[in-house]
Amino acid sequence: MYIIRLSLPVLFIVASLIYAIMIFQLQPAMLGEPNAPRYFPLIICTGILIFSIVDLINMRKENIRQNEDLEMLSRKSTLKVVGIVLGFCLIYTLIFEHLGFLISTILFLGALLFYLNGVKHWILNLSVTIITAFTTWYTFSFLLEISLP
Amino acid sequence: MDFSIIIDGLFTALQPINLMWLVIGAILGTIVGILPGLGPATGIAVLIPLTFGMEPISALILMAAIYYGALFGGSRSSILINTPGDGSSIAATFDGYPMTKKGQAGQAMSIAAIASLIGGVMAIFGFIFLAIPLAQFALNFGPAEYVMLFIFALSAVVALSMGNIAKGFLTMFIGLGISTIGVDLQSGVHRFTLDVPHLTDGIDFIVIIIGIYALGEVLYNMFNINKAKKPDQNIGSKWFTKEQWKKSLAPILRSGPIGFFLGILPGSGGTISSLLAYSTQKQIAKNKEEYGKGAVEGLVAPESANSSAAVGSMIPMLTMAIPGSGATAVMLGALIMIGIQPGPLLFENSPDLVWTLINSMFIGNIILVIINIAMVGMLVKVLHTPPKVLYPLVLVLSFLGAYTLGYSTVDFYILILAGVLGLLLRVLNYPVVPLILALIVGNDMEQNFMRATVIYDGPVSILFASPITIGLALLTILSLSYPLIIKLLGRRKKKDHPMTM
Repeated sequence: MYIIRLSLPVLFIVASLIYAIMIFQLQPAMLGEPNAPRYFPLIICTGILIFSIVDLINMRKENIRQNEDLEMLSRKSTLKVVGIVLGFCLIYTLIFEHLGFLISTILFLGALLFYLNGVKHWILNLSVTIITAFTTWYTFSFLLEISLP
Repeated sequence: MDFSIIIDGLFTALQPINLMWLVIGAILGTIVGILPGLGPATGIAVLIPLTFGMEPISALILMAAIYYGALFGGSRSSILINTPGDGSSIAATFDGYPMTKKGQAGQAMSIAAIASLIGGVMAIFGFIFLAIPLAQFALNFGPAEYVMLFIFALSAVVALSMGNIAKGFLTMFIGLGISTIGVDLQSGVHRFTLDVPHLTDGIDFIVIIIGIYALGEVLYNMFNINKAKKPDQNIGSKWFTKEQWKKSLAPILRSGPIGFFLGILPGSGGTISSLLAYSTQKQIAKNKEEYGKGAVEGLVAPESANSSAAVGSMIPMLTMAIPGSGATAVMLGALIMIGIQPGPLLFENSPDLVWTLINSMFIGNIILVIINIAMVGMLVKVLHTPPKVLYPLVLVLSFLGAYTLGYSTVDFYILILAGVLGLLLRVLNYPVVPLILALIVGNDMEQNFMRATVIYDGPVSILFASPITIGLALLTILSLSYPLIIKLLGRRKKKDHPMTM
């Protein structure tokens, strides 16, 4: 639970440090003030660093045991469901352009429905998957004239 | 005021194609609002691809209808299953659900719909009288005024994330940081693009918005996916009584203006408006003990304020391109994408568009009452949609929406990252609206900041550039001290009335 609570301020501190390094690696502007592209990001970087540290300090005052959502997310079962759904999303991202919209969406939606809704409801899962994939493909490709892979 | 433009706007709104999108938007919005976990922002974000290829005015009508339709719908799930569709319908659970337990669900839903209609109509009149002077005033704005306006809007949003000021500032800076990715428009320097060509134009903030609101929301709902509540099919009579109407009229008329003025403030939105309307109504009520047990006044007051706030929040969005809530932030992004540039010039260059929208909001509110009363039985059935089927569909629509924005799967990675960020922000109580607002205004803020520093010889002089900048600086200080003032007043109240605590 503490690791999840710590995750964001620590992540933001690390991000602000990487951001700072990248700011100093920026190319100087060819026209006008050479450092102009750095000014605004520098203000932001300082802001992220300061408020992440303040948030980290404020964490000591928080009673994280009262945070029901955090308690739920910390459970292995919840982490597993969230992790698997994210895994499916990542696989969908990887196959989308290779297999095309129709096949990848049928695989993605089908996998999600069978995982979340169970194998028992296979007729519902299959019909929802096929109807959704074909309807959205037809709507976007023909009615809205948006080309999908 | 030229009334012929208003009449023209009415005729454009009544064109069959616009009426069709209005009805579709109202129905979709109501359905999205009813489904727990899917608020108006998520609804608009997921349905953005629908607006591609549409006439700008039809797209605007559709999005606005989804927005206030979702607010109507949000209170249905609050009343029926004690589960608010989103933050702005929390207050509807206080007395709405107890009415359901008394067997008055149908009456609660119909009178709540009427309260929303009256609140909405009151706010439309407020919009007519306030939006144009505000847009004309905003025409005096130069780079310095815009920088100060952005600073004020951001600080107001952060200050209203009560109790989370540091977290609010943190998410605001994260949003600003994301907005710096891409080519710097003034110098042409590539910033933080990691040599990914797709990032040269920056990260499309709609992708982040879809990620945080839709994907983040779906991941959050995975926590309780097996515990979905279902409503009772028996909702009783759907017509409210004369006595209920008599009790409701004054609270509705009182709460509308509260919602409208709070809605105009950046960041306050429907949640604060409806909660404040509820507490105000309770404070002045003679039958305080009935509140929380099914008092009809306790239901109609927040409903009227909520609907009114939705219209109010469109004023800063349309006149100054500053969104007042998460949903208007999504709308702003979508409008820019389809070629409508909100801001003071919108009222000068496209008055027909603005007046058509206003007229469509008026018609839309009436349509929504009809939908919400006539189709009440069908709407109850929407709540029977299994979340295990619904959320995978939302995920597919989210990915589809992200893809159609940039035709690249790079946006899918950004979407997934934004979804995880959205989940963590929600679970760890970080306010999201400052991030979204900063993300949207970040680029304009930087460009205006750089221009203003050149014009006024340095950043400090921006503060004193004109009476408007001084006024906005004072408002910024006031908004940042607001939480402190509330805290001090709270302590004083505790001291004065220790027994009541």
